[in-house]
Amino acid sequence: MAELLSIEAEPREAFGKNASRRLRHAGRVPAVVYGDQGPSLPLTVDPKEILRVLRSGAGQNAIFTLEIKGKAPARVMLRDWQLDPIKGNLIHVDMVRVGRDHKLRVKVPIHIKGEAKGVKVQGGIFEFALREVEVECLPDDIPESLTVDVTELTIGQNLRVANLPLGPKVKVLTDPNRVVAHVVTLKAEEEKPAEEVLAEAAPAEPELIRKPRAEEEEEGEEGQESEAGKKEAKKEGKREGKKE
Amino acid sequence: MLMPSKVKFRKQQRGRRRGKAWRGSDLSFGDYGLKVLEAGWITDRQIEASRVAIMRFVKRGGKLWIRIFPDKPVTKKPAETRMGKGKGAPEFWVAVVKPGRILFEMEGVTEAEARQAMRLASHKLALPTVFVQRTVTG
Repeated sequence: MAELLSIEAEPREAFGKNASRRLRHAGRVPAVVYGDQGPSLPLTVDPKEILRVLRSGAGQNAIFTLEIKGKAPARVMLRDWQLDPIKGNLIHVDMVRVGRDHKLRVKVPIHIKGEAKGVKVQGGIFEFALREVEVECLPDDIPESLTVDVTELTIGQNLRVANLPLGPKVKVLTDPNRVVAHVVTLKAEEEKPAEEVLAEAAPAEPELIRKPRAEEEEEGEEGQESEAGKKEAKKEGKREGKKE
Repeated sequence: MLMPSKVKFRKQQRGRRRGKAWRGSDLSFGDYGLKVLEAGWITDRQIEASRVAIMRFVKRGGKLWIRIFPDKPVTKKPAETRMGKGKGAPEFWVAVVKPGRILFEMEGVTEAEARQAMRLASHKLALPTVFVQRTVTG
């Protein structure tokens, strides 16, 4: 894998949520770099540059040069990144230093090519169950993605991790029997009119895990309550009669 | 209608809905999804109505995941009842959602079909939503 990108970073001096918030308002995001027997360094980076790495061919497994002001450039890759759940903005980035001779454990995305026979001819549904596979290899041998042709897949057939086209330099860590994709038949669902479905609004109450107090006690209380209720109803009736 | 099979207590207090949905805010199963933008309650009826709307539109083909479950009971007092005399009887179930939560996910349909299906589903809900799809950055 060729090193393509270079990202500039500045050492971070202010910490905590308030400083980080101010940093994000200023258009940068807090980041950290660690690993390869080096110290953990808090940094700030430009989120646009990190997104450029993520959108590059190698995506999350891209190795790039991190140029920290006042320090030697480091060869790093993204380990983790946090996004805002609503806006999708980058919030924080974790980067790990990559040594040339240390094997890495990375997740490689699986890409599907073609339309399965089971979908095209037999009318089944293609289900993509496993979208990435964990592999172990040297940093320069990390595949960008694994592309699999699924055109011959019919209903009931599976594509498993063992069937993925991996090179000899890459060792798979995910269970080789795990299903990557398969074509399933559609379950015929009974079509009920919406009114009928919504009319079933008052189902039975769920079962209680904890047993309530002894039934006898409850019954006794209920009896007392019902008597009290009757008395009150009588009183109210009298009051209303007086008002009239 | 969705509801728990077993519960520890029949009634619950209302609670508060502060913050964002830090869990369940990414697409985990399908290629397309519907994300809620405000905090609130989504009732079992609303979930069912949305599901029916989606399944009717896609007819055959397509797989749907419902990522929320109504596990909170809501009680109601009978009409024309004076205040007091204890909490009312459980009436329906709701799913508590925070902004960013993925409600539904779909797979096996085109983007245009998924967009239309999610639009129909969003009309059954009382909260603003947005259509989302799988990207490199989640």
